[in-house]
Amino acid sequence: MLIPGIFDISRPNVSGNGVFDPDFDPESHTEWIDAKARRKHSIGLPELSEHEVVRHFTNLSHQAYGVDNGPYPLGSCTMKYNPKRNDAMAQLDGFADVHPHQPAATMQGVWDAFLELQGYIEELTGMDAVTLQPAAGAHGEFAGLLMIRKYFEKKGEKRDIVLIPDSAHGTNPASAAMVGCQCKIVPTTPQGLMDIEEMDRLLDERVATLMLTNPSTLGLFEKNIEQIAVKIHRNGSLLYYDGANLNALMGLVRPGDMGFDVIHINTHKTLATPHGSGGPGAGPVGVKEHLIPYLPVPNVRMRDGRAAPDYDLPDSIGRIKTYFGHTEVLLRALCYLLTQGPEGLKQASENAVLNANYLQAKLADLLPPIFDQPCMHECLISGGDLKISAFDFVKRLIDFKVHPPTLVGAGCVHFAKEYDAAMLIEPTETETLTTLDYMIEQFRRVASEAEIAPFTIETAPHSTDTAKIVKDEAAWVSVLEPERH
Amino acid sequence: MIAPMSRGILAGYNVHTAADRSVMLKSVGVDSIEELLHPIDKSIRLQRPLDLPPPLTEWALSHKMTALARRNLTTKTHRSWLGGGVYEHYIPETVHAIASRGEFLTAYTPYQPEMNQGILRILYDFQKLMGKVLGQPAVNCSVYDGSTALAEAAWMACRASGRDKLLVTENLWPQYRQVLATYLKGRNVEIVDLPSNPDSGQVDSETASALLKKQPFAGLIVQTPNRYGVIERLPEIHQLAHEASAVSIVACNPMLTGCFPSPGEEGFDIVCCEAQPLGLKLNAGGPYLGVIATRMELEQHLPGRIVGICQDLKGEPAFALVKENREQHVARHEATSHICSNQTLLALKVTVHLSTLGEHGFRRIAGLNVVKAHYLESQLSALPGVRRPQTGPFFNEFMLEVPCEVPALLDRLLAEQAFGGIDCSGWEPGGSRRLLIAVTELKSKTELDDYVTHFRQALQSLN
Repeated sequence: MLIPGIFDISRPNVSGNGVFDPDFDPESHTEWIDAKARRKHSIGLPELSEHEVVRHFTNLSHQAYGVDNGPYPLGSCTMKYNPKRNDAMAQLDGFADVHPHQPAATMQGVWDAFLELQGYIEELTGMDAVTLQPAAGAHGEFAGLLMIRKYFEKKGEKRDIVLIPDSAHGTNPASAAMVGCQCKIVPTTPQGLMDIEEMDRLLDERVATLMLTNPSTLGLFEKNIEQIAVKIHRNGSLLYYDGANLNALMGLVRPGDMGFDVIHINTHKTLATPHGSGGPGAGPVGVKEHLIPYLPVPNVRMRDGRAAPDYDLPDSIGRIKTYFGHTEVLLRALCYLLTQGPEGLKQASENAVLNANYLQAKLADLLPPIFDQPCMHECLISGGDLKISAFDFVKRLIDFKVHPPTLVGAGCVHFAKEYDAAMLIEPTETETLTTLDYMIEQFRRVASEAEIAPFTIETAPHSTDTAKIVKDEAAWVSVLEPERH
Repeated sequence: MIAPMSRGILAGYNVHTAADRSVMLKSVGVDSIEELLHPIDKSIRLQRPLDLPPPLTEWALSHKMTALARRNLTTKTHRSWLGGGVYEHYIPETVHAIASRGEFLTAYTPYQPEMNQGILRILYDFQKLMGKVLGQPAVNCSVYDGSTALAEAAWMACRASGRDKLLVTENLWPQYRQVLATYLKGRNVEIVDLPSNPDSGQVDSETASALLKKQPFAGLIVQTPNRYGVIERLPEIHQLAHEASAVSIVACNPMLTGCFPSPGEEGFDIVCCEAQPLGLKLNAGGPYLGVIATRMELEQHLPGRIVGICQDLKGEPAFALVKENREQHVARHEATSHICSNQTLLALKVTVHLSTLGEHGFRRIAGLNVVKAHYLESQLSALPGVRRPQTGPFFNEFMLEVPCEVPALLDRLLAEQAFGGIDCSGWEPGGSRRLLIAVTELKSKTELDDYVTHFRQALQSLN
């Protein structure tokens, strides 16, 4: 049965307590509005007392699962601990109650915070300038690709092809299409790296950029990155860094030093801002010197001795959203960098790598790694020897309070077909040895269970109110539409 | 004994002791983490510590961030008459209390419906709520903000119609027009500007009709209230678009529905909005929340997540993300949009907000906006030399023309602890004497009267 919703528990005429004014009657708005133009029927919004509202949503939270609840080894999604102090700081009245149309001089704290964060991200990634405007990683890709297009336009070159490895996030090709580029897919070698020979074959005078995630979504560092950068630049193209997996590299190696011209990072991955069940995120974009003129407007920089938004960027790609960026999210990212410090960041990446390798090593006999070598911050392991599908396997983990890892088509990563039974596990650095051992125990338990009781697994999860939902369009009876008012 | 900071054990958010690390390294079969990093060539490795400040304690962080926050004036330190598309409204504390729960705040997108029926139920109800507020039944779970909602809606019309021209009123909020241009650049869509009637401040029907007859348009785009604060005549505009078989698209302030029929009820095919007025703080510009509602026939072109009802193994109905064949992780370059992370937690906030207000609370707040804004407008336009340049109706924000330079007037008002309005210079002919003033339910009669007094005094001192 579906959990009741607010419309199901609504009771007529109980709403509106607490909304009144001693001097104005809200009903008298009719004096100001032409009779023909007025609303005549009820909207159909639900009505509940405040206590019912709180109880309803609190109970719904018991059927939701965050990283606050338990381990969340969702590969390439970096579900690490989101520090509570950052939430509190980002929600201070002095930030939360600033109206974006205030005179710029009355919001100096915002500009100072933005400039400081931009500087830290520049240092973390080795880039020359940063914009904090993009709303999420995909939005950052969009901004970055627009800058690349503009760069070539200004040079009078027609370049409209984007090279994308087959292991890339789906957002890469989707963003490329949005800026009017055509995608060409670069395959992966049997060793799990991008196929450089194939890339060479695809390189021509129309290639604008290669979008590369490093470490890749297969959990491996593209160790030929310097060679790739040379080839791309020799072709007159630019190199784009998808920062989805930057969490492996903080303080160890910087995209700017690998030869990337444009990067985006996802603050909810690398900088521990909470994912909020699907956003809001933030996708800061960093560029090297030669792309600075094309940054979106406004860009916060030093002007006359103080931080301020600069709108005077004649070659800018323009505006990509209203106002300046997701301030509340960005402030959390700033707090994260301030409380980690340089050593803390490096240690976070080291521990992320250590944790993934520990899991990989402890599971290798039952669930062997797809690539027989150490991984970076996430490991790709194979369920190919099991008598059940990887899909069924991970659903059983739910019964043991472990969030399933990433699978083919599970939403985050698009793998090539040969990895059909592969699971991408990213434990993150904030899981303790005890939790890692617990997770290992559950993975092993399900793997053993597959031998003796496959049916139990195929019908899992059993501990949730809702049984397994098979994401096969044919198996769906109906998609009920929100009813017409 | 406490391990020294220099060994890094206590830095930041580290959870491992030195002993843990040894155990783990041994299991992996290496002596150090450095060995695991061997694929990274030494030549590109960072050979120095990151040049970032040393870590702060929680109390030092609080000190620093509080100091930064104090460098801002706010709508709490000053009386604000600012709008421009986002507004200072009453937000019940239930919103913060529920949205702060870690189960929601720290969760990923609900790709595992079996363990996330709670958030899926909320998003389903969000779609239903917004369907009622915007007046069309097919609603997505959010896009980044009102401006990207409009830009995505514009592309929906092009996809659905196979046409590549859009007729767009020139009285959109300037930022919406800029974002629309940025989004459509790579799509090779042409934007044709539709002038508005300078007297009413509304779309000029005759001009629109003539332009629509000239060539085939994918869609006709308007905004209500527009950048003059004026409410558009939606039924008439929809009819014009309909006759030219163009998709009618409107970006609206969702609070309007408290007093007026929703744009969907007025016939509009795609209704999008900035949902900030429905329970979201101002946050110096974001994050906000874009929503798109449309007819069922256009649902396949919607960007972003959609929650629907399907079946579990026991044959029971259950919620899940559906129609994913539209989305980037399935359709890749053929997706309706690239959007992945959206604004889910804000959709949750809006759901809690509207649930707390309910039908009557929502409508009363909308009513108070109208009453208070019109009271203030009538007081201000009675001042000598002050007039409202447009005749079209308004909701909670209106433009005024004043007998002095607006920046000087706003400076005087700022000295009286007020953000007096938005200076329209730069995007409005004759703008240096025009300003926009927004009034919401939060202003008391005393505050309204004080504003009039300060406004009058400022004008007197400037003339």
